[in-house]
Amino acid sequence: MGIHKIIILAFILVLHTEARPISYSGGTTLMYQSDSMSDSVYVHYSPTYKYSIGIENVDDKIFNKNKNYLRLTYLINRKNTDISQRNLYFQSGVLVDDADGFFYGIHGDWETRRWFSGFGYKDTNNSFGQDYTDQYIQLGVAPYVGDYGDLHTWIMIKTKKNSLTNTQSTYPELKFFKGAALVKFGYSDKTEWDLHFMYRF
Amino acid sequence: MKKILLTLLLASPLAWAEQDHANMHDHSHEGHLHDTMVDGKNLDVSAERFDTFMEGLADVNVAIVSVKGMVCDFCARGIEKTFTRDKSVQKIDVDLDNGKVMIAYSKTKEINFKEIEKQILSNGQNMSDLQVLEI
Repeated sequence: MGIHKIIILAFILVLHTEARPISYSGGTTLMYQSDSMSDSVYVHYSPTYKYSIGIENVDDKIFNKNKNYLRLTYLINRKNTDISQRNLYFQSGVLVDDADGFFYGIHGDWETRRWFSGFGYKDTNNSFGQDYTDQYIQLGVAPYVGDYGDLHTWIMIKTKKNSLTNTQSTYPELKFFKGAALVKFGYSDKTEWDLHFMYRF
Repeated sequence: MKKILLTLLLASPLAWAEQDHANMHDHSHEGHLHDTMVDGKNLDVSAERFDTFMEGLADVNVAIVSVKGMVCDFCARGIEKTFTRDKSVQKIDVDLDNGKVMIAYSKTKEINFKEIEKQILSNGQNMSDLQVLEI
């Protein structure tokens, strides 16, 4: 079964899957991401705990274009236990000025206060006919477990693959997290810097 | 086909809502400021943490909430924000290590299991137990 069929099947299952919270109602999040393919600024708002809607400005370095996406992220499934949380999300976006340009995908994670694992798949359809996919897998460990409000540190390893540039790279990442702010950066000699910043209001 | 699928997916979350009460245990206890409460059940938080929380508080009822899925500061922050919107909340403490949230309410506030369960759920976690102490 191809990945497209799996995603379509997952979407159909969503219709029958009980929704779990995505975040607290009324939360706004600012995200900035930069890597060898694009720089982006993304602001999203969660009207309820089930989903977030937002707008993302993307500076596409490959096609030298600036794009604005309307985005939706939806929590397909969440499993909470005493020590862990597991999530599966659907993500999508459509260009503000060109409905022929859109992306969709899924990403998931499982984490405790010590361990983290995650994956993602994204299919991007450009209006000018250059479609491509991004995939990643991520593993992480916290060298110490801090209390609420402390500086939290994660040491991670990420493998990502892009079908457009036909590159696959594996590299270490460091994530720092305190209060409402998170910053993460990794470096690979193939894809160079991968930066991520997030602030939740 | 992809556009149709995308449109369906964009619209579908609006139609999905659920309240998951599975694995919830409707326990409510009243007691006093001791390691062990009057019904013999142990206090769900350490005495030291509880005493620190109670500093400066008087005439309050304290809810000790056991929470599943509280694994990071974002979870804790969301819970803090959710409960501090309630004007009857005097103080809140989130213990990530043990998955406990202590909430001090004004005496006039009637602590309601279902209401707290709903507030925890609105933040994305699940409540598994609730102790209520009248101070």
